[in-house]
Amino acid sequence: MRGWWRFGKWTALIMFLHIIAVLIFTKGFLLTRTELPHSSHCSDLSQSPCHSSSCWTKPAVDRLIIIVLDALRFDFVAPSSFFEQKQPWMDRLKVLQRMALENPSSAKIFKAIADPPTTSLQRLKGLTTGALPTFIDVGNSFGAPAIVEDNFIKQLIQNGKRVVMMGDDTWTQLFPNHFNESYPYPSFNVKDLDTVDNGCIEHLLPSLHQQDWDVLIAHFLGVDHAGHIYGVDSTPMIEKLEQYNVVLEKVIEELQNQSGPGKLHENSLLVVMGDHGQTLNGDHGGGSPEEVETSIFAMSFKDLPSLPSEFVSSSCEPSKNMCISSIPQLDFAVTVSSLLGVPFPFGSIGRVNPELYALAVGTWNLDDNRTWNNQDETKLEEWLQNYVNVICTNSWQVKRYIDVYSASSVIGFSSEDLFHISDLYAKAEENRSNSSFYKNESSNTSLPVLKRQIGAYFEFLSYVAELARSKWTEFNLKMMGTGIGIMLLSLYCHILAIRKLNKSYGGSLLLSRDSGISFGLLLASFTVLMRASSLLSNSYILKEGKVANFLLATTGIVTLRFSFMKNKMLLEAATFLLLAFIFRIAIEVGLNKQAATSQFMSASSSWMLGISISESLWTYMAEIVPILALIILGYFLYKAISSYRWGIAKCVIMGTIFSYLLIALHWISESNVLDLAHFLKGFGKNYIPRTIYSIGLGQLLLLAFVPLFSKEETSNYKGSLFVKMISILSACSSTVIILQGKQGPLVALGSLLAGYCMMRLQGIEQHTLRGAEVISILDPLPILQWSLLAVCLFFATGHWCAFDGLRYGAAFIGFDDFVLVPQAILLTIDTFGFSHILSVLGLPLFVAFSSMPNQTEHRSLFSIKLFWIFMVYGLITATTVTATIVCVAIQRRHLMVWGLFAPKFVFDVVGLILTDVLIFVASIYYF
Amino acid sequence: MKEELAKSSQSTISSFQVFLIHVCCGLALAVGFWVARNVYSINLIFDPTTTLRLIWAVEFPVVILLFSYFRQKPEKCSYLKAIARGLLGLPVGVLLNVLGALALGAPAGLQYFERTASWSLLMSSLTFVPTACVYGSCWTDWHRIFACTKPKGPLDFMLCLPAHGAVIGAWFGAWPMPLDWERPWQDWPICVSYGAMAGYVAGMVGSLGLALMHTGGKQLKAE
Repeated sequence: MRGWWRFGKWTALIMFLHIIAVLIFTKGFLLTRTELPHSSHCSDLSQSPCHSSSCWTKPAVDRLIIIVLDALRFDFVAPSSFFEQKQPWMDRLKVLQRMALENPSSAKIFKAIADPPTTSLQRLKGLTTGALPTFIDVGNSFGAPAIVEDNFIKQLIQNGKRVVMMGDDTWTQLFPNHFNESYPYPSFNVKDLDTVDNGCIEHLLPSLHQQDWDVLIAHFLGVDHAGHIYGVDSTPMIEKLEQYNVVLEKVIEELQNQSGPGKLHENSLLVVMGDHGQTLNGDHGGGSPEEVETSIFAMSFKDLPSLPSEFVSSSCEPSKNMCISSIPQLDFAVTVSSLLGVPFPFGSIGRVNPELYALAVGTWNLDDNRTWNNQDETKLEEWLQNYVNVICTNSWQVKRYIDVYSASSVIGFSSEDLFHISDLYAKAEENRSNSSFYKNESSNTSLPVLKRQIGAYFEFLSYVAELARSKWTEFNLKMMGTGIGIMLLSLYCHILAIRKLNKSYGGSLLLSRDSGISFGLLLASFTVLMRASSLLSNSYILKEGKVANFLLATTGIVTLRFSFMKNKMLLEAATFLLLAFIFRIAIEVGLNKQAATSQFMSASSSWMLGISISESLWTYMAEIVPILALIILGYFLYKAISSYRWGIAKCVIMGTIFSYLLIALHWISESNVLDLAHFLKGFGKNYIPRTIYSIGLGQLLLLAFVPLFSKEETSNYKGSLFVKMISILSACSSTVIILQGKQGPLVALGSLLAGYCMMRLQGIEQHTLRGAEVISILDPLPILQWSLLAVCLFFATGHWCAFDGLRYGAAFIGFDDFVLVPQAILLTIDTFGFSHILSVLGLPLFVAFSSMPNQTEHRSLFSIKLFWIFMVYGLITATTVTATIVCVAIQRRHLMVWGLFAPKFVFDVVGLILTDVLIFVASIYYF
Repeated sequence: MKEELAKSSQSTISSFQVFLIHVCCGLALAVGFWVARNVYSINLIFDPTTTLRLIWAVEFPVVILLFSYFRQKPEKCSYLKAIARGLLGLPVGVLLNVLGALALGAPAGLQYFERTASWSLLMSSLTFVPTACVYGSCWTDWHRIFACTKPKGPLDFMLCLPAHGAVIGAWFGAWPMPLDWERPWQDWPICVSYGAMAGYVAGMVGSLGLALMHTGGKQLKAE
């Protein structure tokens, strides 16, 4: 252990520094908004300049039915005539369109614009608090914490309203003990399309007859899950939408039946809404139009007047006689609060939306003689006066929030902005006090004044919302700076450690190392710098895989040139280039998948070769080739180990080969090509993957603990290193391969071959320079290639640095239900399997095969070189991540900071810590 | 007169001749651009394939005719034979350039095939053809110039530097391609061609400078 400590302490120190730096930087960078604990109360209104008889606003509706359809795209609801092309999933919710068309004054379809991040939890938070959700909450999405901020549900409870909830259990996690009755269903089992929906349907219709609630929330999840599993353009999705259509028809019919005077739903409002949209692949989380555009359908069961056109922001479809306005989701909480007559949530920065408000308002003083439609000016004036009161309260509440917020938060809004806000508010208020003079005068003068005043309030509110959107991210520059400083310090330590290793390596080789600057070192540094500086631009981050591949191929070409120069190993160099080409094709396939979901990219099919192979042959190949590759892998393992004698290793390898057989069995049972697999289906689906996981775990435990008890000193250090490497790689590989799916064995084979070529080619530059002895020279070029290859593998296996790039499907291999811990582990293994875990553990490749004289006295030399390789690999990773961190800090006001830079930062940082830990573990294991 | 000079030996190529050749090659590029713009009113951005072919059509004869004068061992190899070598070298160079571009990430789709081919024609005439004219298929000379980068004498400089310049320029020219500026010139292979030509010109300037230094040094030695 003492020997290990000599260099191992560096890995520990660097790991420690990285963790500290990342924590500090993250605290400064991802911190966004201070949540205020205050909440609004009825009595607060006495401080406001607005007059109102009851609590804040006069209740306009008695009962509210909110039906949330998760991941409801705008084009699910809006008529297909609004879009260029009619798609199969459009016009499925016909009942909503019919209602909006038949009763334009009481039912309306809105386009609702959500704010990113568009994950369900963030959206529910934003919908109920009326505030802007923060990025850091994305991480909490898997264990929804209770909302501490003031929100609309809390206000309902405070004011004695009874709330019933059914559907998605996120609600009960967000609002524990808030509901009178709740019927939650588990929401994380993506494969289950029906449990939540059936539960909702079961309780929804009977509840409509009950009297014991004021607000009913039903949250359907089927569309979201159908999108995640099958995509938007699929039969399950259309079936789901048609099912919803039937349910909504029943609900509306029921409500209409009960809407007569004195009946249960005399004064009810139905809201059908999505919390966010989804891309065609069913992903959501980002800020692309497809993801943020969802819909709100609102319907009251009375005939109401239409609004003066000044407040209507519609895009109309004259042919269909239907208008669709757009409404920010931010406005939802405050509008609904005003309709129900409860205080607005304290932190809401939304505005009472006039159109949504108008759908329900007026129900309290609807005259019998229905003068509304006759353009009666007094009625309109009354309506406007009432709305002015509401919007006045609304503005006062927002102003109060902004004042309290900037008083309690150190870095809030700039004083200039605050002054502008106050100015706008004062102007609006002045207007109001002027307008009250006109109150008793003729309506002719009063009407424009009211309109002007509403305009002034709107100006104030929209300015606040815009300001909040643009400035809400509070970067703590000091902390970010400290983080970057520590990161740079760790880089310095890294270089120091490498120098030390260089020195002791040269010392024990008794070589007077000359200047030490070889061409390989120069090229490696140049490449790393190119890659690091490329991270400054969003375009290069998007195409990171291609950039890495470009650099990899460049080093490959340089190596090819060297092998021409020395006239050896031409085949290896050419194979390496060919592999780079193949990986590049794989990366472009991955990029295409990303382009389909990303807001920043446009899909290009430049990689398409236009192959037209008959369908059946193609599917047949797709089934057979991975299994063949698996068999080849197993054969390689068997061959590799057969010449060595090491008991445990044999055990481990046999276990892996058995695992491979199981994987093949699993794939056969999943495929439809062979019918004989039918009987396996029920059995194999979960048990085979679980067996493979447990075999892998057992192998790892075996490898970790057995050497502790049986200390066998082998004279053949190189051989034992090789055996150790093969056994740990094989132990990890089976799990990684099954999680990666059918591409797994092919990628594994490819990287094996690439690794072999790199290993053969290492130090080719110096081969004949100083004789055979110098082969053992420390050359950073192959390690750079290995690390670039790792980056390529990450992208080639269909991952990318975004949260919708995570392959959630992998987490459910072997599991049907959502269990947090195992699934998080599986997702991590899937994401970082090839690019980090196998890459770091495979690094000894460059020592185990090097043609150094294999004698016992060189043992220390081997371990120094091993450490050196680990350190250089770590340095390359750390340099790239430092560059990412610096670039994220520079681009913190960039348009795509949350869409692109922040996810990239998170992925890189997690990858860096993982690499550090793996290097630490590997250095102990291999030493 | 040129033939006589070339006959004697490769080392006697004077810096004036180097200058002349480089000016001719550079002028040929310029003429290619001029013809494309003023005669056919096309340019690299809107019609890369045709423009590249046009530039190539001007450049290639100039290159092959000029460099064939300086063929090695002129007593064994006639001027026509040197030209034939250059013509044979062209497809080989095209193939190598296409493979290199594909390895580095050029679009592999069939719809890009014509562009890649035209680009490679030009690249081949800038990098491969001159050496093929001068050295033919002599492996050791190729090895010396392209693998080891150990040119000796102004003739080698004249072959080696512009070729390397073109390749490195093309490499750097590829960097703006992924940027989201949405300019038409970011398309393959427009900016790569610009980079290659810029690198080629830089290489020619370098080669000329080295040739001047070389002959200068020689004169000093002689004195």
